Amino acid sequence: MITELGHFALIMAFVMSVAVSVLPFIGLRRGTSPFAALAAPATLAMMMAVCAAFAALLHAFITSDFSVALVASHSHSTKPLIYKISGTWGNHEGSLLLWILILALFGGALAAGGRGMDAGLKVRTLAVQAMVTAGFLAFCLFTSNPFERLESAPLDGRGLNPILQDPGLALHPPTLYIGYVGLSMAFAFAVAGLIEGRIDRNWARHVRPWVSAAWCALTAGIALGSWWAYYELGWGGWWFWDPVENASLMPWLAATALLHSTIVVEQRGTLKSWTVLLAILAFSLSLVGTFIVRSGLLTSVHSFASDPARGVFILGILLAAVGVPLMLFALRGPQLASRGDFDVLSRESGLILNNFLLTAATVVVLVGTFYPLALEMVSGARITVGPPYFDATFNPIMGALVAAMAFGPVMAWRRGTLPSTRLVAIAAAVGALLLAAGVGIAAGGIGVAGLAGLALLGWLALGITADISHRLKPWKDGLARRATALPAPVWGMWTAHAGMVVFLIGALGSGLFQTEVVVRATPGQAIDVAGKTMIFRGVEKRQGPNYVTETAILELRDGTDILAFMTPEKRFYNAERQTTTEAAIRPRLSGDDYAVLGDGDATAGYTLRLYRKPFVSWIWGGAALMAIGGGIAAFGRRQRKAVTQPAGATGAPAE
Amino acid sequence: MNSEQNTARTRRLAFLIPLAGFLVLAGFASLALLATLRGERDMTQLPSAMVGKPAPAVALPDLRDAGSTVSAIDFKGRPFLVNVFASWCAPCRAEAPALALLSEEIEIFGIAYKDKPEDTRGFLATYGDPFAGIGIDRDGDAGMRWGVYGVPETFLVDASGTIILRHAGPIDRRVLDELLRPAIRDLAAGTKP
Repeated sequence: MITELGHFALIMAFVMSVAVSVLPFIGLRRGTSPFAALAAPATLAMMMAVCAAFAALLHAFITSDFSVALVASHSHSTKPLIYKISGTWGNHEGSLLLWILILALFGGALAAGGRGMDAGLKVRTLAVQAMVTAGFLAFCLFTSNPFERLESAPLDGRGLNPILQDPGLALHPPTLYIGYVGLSMAFAFAVAGLIEGRIDRNWARHVRPWVSAAWCALTAGIALGSWWAYYELGWGGWWFWDPVENASLMPWLAATALLHSTIVVEQRGTLKSWTVLLAILAFSLSLVGTFIVRSGLLTSVHSFASDPARGVFILGILLAAVGVPLMLFALRGPQLASRGDFDVLSRESGLILNNFLLTAATVVVLVGTFYPLALEMVSGARITVGPPYFDATFNPIMGALVAAMAFGPVMAWRRGTLPSTRLVAIAAAVGALLLAAGVGIAAGGIGVAGLAGLALLGWLALGITADISHRLKPWKDGLARRATALPAPVWGMWTAHAGMVVFLIGALGSGLFQTEVVVRATPGQAIDVAGKTMIFRGVEKRQGPNYVTETAILELRDGTDILAFMTPEKRFYNAERQTTTEAAIRPRLSGDDYAVLGDGDATAGYTLRLYRKPFVSWIWGGAALMAIGGGIAAFGRRQRKAVTQPAGATGAPAE
Repeated sequence: MNSEQNTARTRRLAFLIPLAGFLVLAGFASLALLATLRGERDMTQLPSAMVGKPAPAVALPDLRDAGSTVSAIDFKGRPFLVNVFASWCAPCRAEAPALALLSEEIEIFGIAYKDKPEDTRGFLATYGDPFAGIGIDRDGDAGMRWGVYGVPETFLVDASGTIILRHAGPIDRRVLDELLRPAIRDLAAGTKP
């Protein structure tokens, strides 16, 4: 009964989303707006209906109602509660409903909030958001109905892939989806602005928190996925340039560019058409990413063929959601007059450089991801481009971006530099030189690319430190007053940029100084890994709840002190006939000890892969800082308090 | 005046670029989808300029024996397979079982494409080592000579050192049973497919 109610609620939500998409335009055209006034309450009603539908599906999963086809094929009565809940979105139909739920929640948030927004812009933005929601609801109802019943319910469900039964993976998709879907708000704002033919500073002021929030969630979602890959896949890496990873990286890069270009629109009223285009592109990439992963298009084109209706629907949504806005852009874009009175040496130029580099990086990832796909479409061959391509193309672009990052914040709007620029320049140069030379000499054997990376790290770290200390002057009285006087976006920017420094420490530390030892060891053997000793005590069989293991016992010693026992496992899931590798990880701030058990037997010995990964956990710490920075920028206080600004030669060093 | 109009027109045209780019991509995707729906698209072999040509004689550093080199033509005299792989390539992990089966029937020469030797060793330790010899192709030069699109790729070479067949992508059950094994059998029977 509840399931049928959920289905009904979903149909009601579809009807209401169509109404919200259409009615406001009738209202606004006539000059009077009784219809337009309906948009906000109708959006809230639609949100309630979607929430009800999602709750119904959640209920079916929690109560293990196997008469629902989706529950029967993706859940199991013995699963722990958390995986029953996460199982709701661990499949195509359910994840689609989660998408719709987040879309509706974002629409509802704008309908309930959006104070101070121009009424016409708000109503049109709600309408565009409702169009997107309607498209997804139609897709869900007509091709992927999660509420379908089975004629006869099986006694138990088919379970969930063991590798997916993991807390990291329970959180990863919802976080990532909030990021993807959050970009739909920027998209809706952009399309509404194009329909009105007006993009101004007020527009940017209202769209910016949404972009920051989406970026925050996207950053956290990607970091969670990478962390999961690190500890669950047992491959020792944290980023594989896998198509599925790239599908989330592309919207992130575009959103990062958008985050910065909206600043220019808000502060200076310029770069308007570019910002609108970025907003459309960022959400388009989210759509492409989601669909490609969901449809299995990237791992295999053939899943299209397995359900042609879905493939056609997906293409239809993409054509409408990307093609129509781009057509609007071609028609209305030229009318978006921008003032262009700024010098080469200015904050504007810095942010344009930022946008240029981020766009180039997006294109590079796009090509690397879709070249194999295009080749597969044409010829059926499935190949990988892989890290060599990305190392050669993506890394230099990001290097240039990091180099510019130290200076962007200390440029003045319109022209010239801020008083702190010289200080930052000296600090950055000293940092670059010190770190590259110091570590280069101390460690030795680091290649040119590695030294360049270290120099960039020192450059950015000291550059940011100089900027922050120049603005806050912690050595003078009144630090607290100066700190609270700064607007939240400045703190957000500092936090996120500092996050980049922390991330780089992790990426460079683990990339340059990792020790990897692969041995075939017999019990009793001692293996030296980066100055510590691992003593292989042997392998024993253990029994898990629904698997048996081969568990290796390794004693980690520093000299004669026993630091830890590490127990990497191979698990055999009997029911699923599947083997998973469980790495043993001893995480510390200074670096992780990481052990994986390979094949072998007691007489010939076992293959062990042992790593020492210096600073690797800083990667996720840095990503967390970046996400927090985005959160501060999104939800923090926008207006600066009226306080005396440091008298700058060329105006206030704004956000 | 005229030049101003021209500038305005150029400006308007510039705003069409994103739409035009998108339409090209969408058209491509639609065609591919249509072909799939009609069942016209098939897992056909990549055309390769290399089929029928002699195997490139690139001497590569030997992974197993530092200081010496190894080359595909060392295997001449009997039919053999050449497998281009890398530790960073996910499909290569997927085809490891198939290669293990094949290694019982025919010798396989491995080319470790754009890969660090220590990574390659780790890969072999984890996923098994089916190779009769492995050359290190650090900068991808040998891959270039073999004309690979990416990894993994597999070539079948006959006893005279001529490339008979090429398969791009991982070797799955179907490729193993319907493509490689028949071709190997044909070669063993002395007839070219």
